[in-house]
Amino acid sequence: MKRRDFLKNLSLSAATLAVIPTMSFAADEKPKGSNALAYKDALAAITGGKTPEPSEKVSLKVPEIAENGAVVPVTVEIDYPMTDSDYVKAIHIFAAKNGNSRCIDAHLSPANGKAMLSTRVKLGETQEVIALAELSNGNFLIASQSVKVTIGGCG
Amino acid sequence: MSNSKTLIKIKPNTYKNGDVVKVSFMVMHPMETGLRKDKKTGEVIPADYIKSAKFEYNGKVFTTMNIWETLSVNPVITTYMTIDGAGSLKVTFTDSKGTVEESSEEIKPKG
Amino acid sequence: MRKVLQIALSVLVASSLAYGSEQFSMSDADRALYEELLDNNPADMMLASGSEHLDALGGTASLAKYLEQSKDSLASYLAGFPRYIDKYKSVVSIDQMLQAFMHDSGKKPYALKSSDMFDISSYVKSIANEQPINIDINANEHMKKAYALGKEVFNTRRGGRGLSCYNCHNPGVVGRILRTQPLPDISAKGNASAATWPAYRMTKSNLATLQKRFQGCMENALLAVIPLGSKEMTALEVYFTHEAKGAPIAIPGLKR
Ligand code: HEC
Repeated sequence: MKRRDFLKNLSLSAATLAVIPTMSFAADEKPKGSNALAYKDALAAITGGKTPEPSEKVSLKVPEIAENGAVVPVTVEIDYPMTDSDYVKAIHIFAAKNGNSRCIDAHLSPANGKAMLSTRVKLGETQEVIALAELSNGNFLIASQSVKVTIGGCG
Repeated sequence: MSNSKTLIKIKPNTYKNGDVVKVSFMVMHPMETGLRKDKKTGEVIPADYIKSAKFEYNGKVFTTMNIWETLSVNPVITTYMTIDGAGSLKVTFTDSKGTVEESSEEIKPKG
Repeated sequence: MRKVLQIALSVLVASSLAYGSEQFSMSDADRALYEELLDNNPADMMLASGSEHLDALGGTASLAKYLEQSKDSLASYLAGFPRYIDKYKSVVSIDQMLQAFMHDSGKKPYALKSSDMFDISSYVKSIANEQPINIDINANEHMKKAYALGKEVFNTRRGGRGLSCYNCHNPGVVGRILRTQPLPDISAKGNASAATWPAYRMTKSNLATLQKRFQGCMENALLAVIPLGSKEMTALEVYFTHEAKGAPIAIPGLKR
């Protein structure tokens, strides 16, 4: 039968395929680029050494287990007013073990109406993701959560 | 004008003055870290990422961002904004090579 | 004999897979986070390009006319691909139909593997969003044959490890873990593959069609890669699409 032959030929040529392509970007990407900055230095650069207060007002939503390290959803919402006199000035997101620990800084204003920032980050390995809120009164609130990164799958 | 493919989405898609709505900005961009090697040639692919964005509504800047190569390829960024009259929302972004591009969306409050 | 071997092999594969609950199984809260990503699927930008490509060919109106459909019947007609089209004398997927459409409109057709083709064919399939898949494998002899061939390709063990698609994609192994990933349920119920591809692949940062996804599995399971648009590939799409019959189309999907 012709069809069978076609498939058989395919299976023959398959034997010459040597290795399974790797899919992990984590493996060949241990970041140490020109933007490399460790988390504690990145944090200090923003807080000027002031200690941020761990706070339930900072809701950080990240997956406990990321199904891939290339696209990890991160949503930060601050339960805080957004009035002209009292508001969240900025939200920062860090990935503690990425070579460059900084992901994004969003400088907000009362016109945002609500202090929220949502995006997707690359995580090279299992690590803490940190959300820092900078308030108009000069204080900082912080929250963190660990994300386990898995790799693998098929295709 | 924008050479990159971009998309701005407002949610919900009908809103009125005073509403606080979600605004999402998406752009097709490789977000190269400068650390990846081309699998075929073995050469390092140069860094190429969006490094900042500015959100402007009817001429008033309400949010600015510093962005790093650690955001996912084809980045998506969402925040909120307060609807305050018809006009346009403009997102200006700059990449690590210094290219500045702009993308905008019409704001049409119902009432 | 062949059947016995197949069962034995599927047991073998299954025994080397861990159960979903043992390692890396995702919580409902995590799954909800990933589902939220669909609201802002980067593939929306690619479909927007696809829509522009279609506009350059006269838009949905001229596509409907080309397919001898009305404005209202187009969506449900598109929900029936792959289908046998008499003027081509073959069973075709949406991308091949679009190649013919471009050709017949005096334009140079996009290559099947080009990103322009992925963009436009995904956009065109999305015109059928919310329509239930209505492929009819009994419509004629050609469809019957395509389905039978697709099923054969799906079940045939080949390649370096003597694996078939069935070995990893059968009801008995759904949810088990292979290289940290749960084996997906490719047939109807909720997330049917044929209803959710083309999809944005987060690990590849691009838009891929169902046939392109098949190729991914072929590569990784050491089965020689069957070309896009070949008779076998289209047949495999017919098989998968029939498995998802009735599922509402939701394009673009978003996948790991
Ligand atoms: C060795 C096991 C294995 C074999 C053999 C295999 N697959 Fe897969 N397949 C997987 C795994 C694991 C996934 C999910 C991986 C992921 O999420 O990255 C998958 C995913 C898929 C998907 C995407 C499902 C969805 O809707 O998200 C399709 C379609 C698919 N396979 C088709 C095929 C076809 C067609 C074949 C035969 C040519 C095949 N597979 C052979 C393991 C396999």
